[in-house]
Amino acid sequence: MSQRSFELPVLGRPTPVDHPKAAREFNADVARTDWHDESLWFVREKRDRAAASVPEWEELRARASAIKEHALTHLDEYLVQFEANALANGMQVHWARDADEHNRIVHGILSEAGARRLVKSKSMLTEECGLNPYLEANGIEVIDSDLGERIVQLRREGPSHIVMPAIHLKKEEVGATFHEHLGTPEGLSEPNALAGVAREHLREKFLAADATLTGMNFAVAESGGFVVCTNEGNADLGMALAPVHIASVGIEKVIPRVEDLAVFLRLLARSATGQAVTVYTTHVHGPRAGQALHVVLVDNGRTKQLAREEFWGSLKCIRCGACMNTCPIYRRSGGHSYGSTVPGPIGSVLTPGLDLERYASLPFASTLCGSCTAVCPVKIDLDRQLFRWRQHVTEAGHTPRAKTFAIKTSVALFDRPRLFRAAGALARFGLRLMPGFIARMASGPWGRTRDVPPAPSQSFRAWYRTNRPERP
Amino acid sequence: MSELGARETILHAVRAARPPAVSLPAPRIAPALASGQPSLLDAFAAAAMAAGAAVVIAARDEVSRLALGADLTPRNVLSTVAEVRTTVPPSQDPHALDSLDLFVADSPLGVAENGAVWVATSDVMHRAALFLATRVVIVVDAATIVPTLHDAYARIDVRAHPFGAFVAGPSKTADIEQSLVIGAHGPKELTVIVIGTNGESGAQQASRR
Repeated sequence: MSQRSFELPVLGRPTPVDHPKAAREFNADVARTDWHDESLWFVREKRDRAAASVPEWEELRARASAIKEHALTHLDEYLVQFEANALANGMQVHWARDADEHNRIVHGILSEAGARRLVKSKSMLTEECGLNPYLEANGIEVIDSDLGERIVQLRREGPSHIVMPAIHLKKEEVGATFHEHLGTPEGLSEPNALAGVAREHLREKFLAADATLTGMNFAVAESGGFVVCTNEGNADLGMALAPVHIASVGIEKVIPRVEDLAVFLRLLARSATGQAVTVYTTHVHGPRAGQALHVVLVDNGRTKQLAREEFWGSLKCIRCGACMNTCPIYRRSGGHSYGSTVPGPIGSVLTPGLDLERYASLPFASTLCGSCTAVCPVKIDLDRQLFRWRQHVTEAGHTPRAKTFAIKTSVALFDRPRLFRAAGALARFGLRLMPGFIARMASGPWGRTRDVPPAPSQSFRAWYRTNRPERP
Repeated sequence: MSELGARETILHAVRAARPPAVSLPAPRIAPALASGQPSLLDAFAAAAMAAGAAVVIAARDEVSRLALGADLTPRNVLSTVAEVRTTVPPSQDPHALDSLDLFVADSPLGVAENGAVWVATSDVMHRAALFLATRVVIVVDAATIVPTLHDAYARIDVRAHPFGAFVAGPSKTADIEQSLVIGAHGPKELTVIVIGTNGESGAQQASRR
């Protein structure tokens, strides 16, 4: 497995993500690739059964999409309303323009409270902001409490999936990690036993925590509260015990009304894991007695995405991960191959906006089959957005040189009938002599695992002349 | 960089970026009820059991016996229902509940489509107990079961308490190779006692999964 160490997104000029190369490395282990593919497909099938059990599913999707579109097109109003009501509920509200500002705000809250031990529940936003390494560098102990996140944290990797962070790991690897870090017997890999050890280990951390940090699945403008969904109860243990609670949220997560929650919650877990609802759907409308509750509203590129006429719809995302589970590329290349916090189709439309050159290969990590669009609970037109990003990447000149050359050559050939005919003759000749070589030349990575059909003896044009002499 | 600066910068950027307005649709969707639909109670019980909960339909006077369990007498009990006695000493520190064996609470509402019960409280001890106890028992009246989450939100006031949660089953995880493990960080068992309406009392036991 490739070990992806945490990187601070603000440091220097990072090397571009090479998705095809990372995918090739992932695919080197065929059995493992098949296993990964099947694991995700299993989740996709559970999602299908859950969706089919709700007769009004399509109506829910349309409604969810429209509510999100309304919220995003009135986002300033709903942010202001959320802030006012959250303040009235006794929360403190902070605003962060970027990752760095978010991290400094969180550190500031912890410093002021004298907090040294932070227990986090799952928050892709804090992954995006590189919060953990920032706090650790400032002497704060940071414990990710979601089991999957704790596993990858111990391994110094990032999550490979937004809902199932350790979906790329086998139980034997988890066992080895626990043996190294938590002192479990060597060779112990039974999931129940490992989860039991993690429970004891993390219970101590919950009880000792000075502060907790959660994400938000939804922030509700009307009520000034927010909703956190988990199966493990980890976010809840943190919130119920720690004297300081910080809830970080991207500004796009605000929805207008309490009743809108019904629409989204009916879709979220069914789309994510095939459950009718997560075990805990927790509504927070203020700090508990004796607790300080801070909300951090984070932009970090979201207003830029909102301004993009072709891509603002991607901000409707409710982070269910269904587009990943169904994606034939994600399933066979793994989440780490995307080199971004959010992988898969949605990651490939959200991330290029942050740094087009660095993430130029991501819009091409798709067959454009549209399966992601078909399962998306908020009807994001993912395949179209991927296609549009490809055009921007190409216009900006970030496509690989060989590909640019091939496309330009094709255009030149298609523009010139005589040259095209000559090239066709040459190709038929070449294919007879050295099929493998020509195939690789002509099709790039596609030719690597495919045979070319035998070369035809004549061109279609010649065949047509012979067989349809009566027509022009 | 002052706080105010960030707020104004972000709001200004949002206003400048706002795509053309889309109108707000009604939040409620009338569920498409198919004929031959099971009763709300049956649907609720099936969904709660699918989520890993044990479901018992009983009369109110059976709550104590059912909550405590037939063969064990839990030592550390916190209860918000009159029928079950609290045994842990009073405290205002939720950390004190770390070794809680049993938490018993009433719920004002169940949801048939997903088997969840609504639990809301301003009491810091009750909130923590819901997650720290090894075993949780929730008592809900059959008459309060609603079909969908739309109906649920029409009946609850999420602002009434700082904390409110839909709870469906015991805590669980599938983070290791998609293997389901019951009892992740929170309770290892969740029992929902449904107080039956006429003719449905008498500990009609719905077996666990």
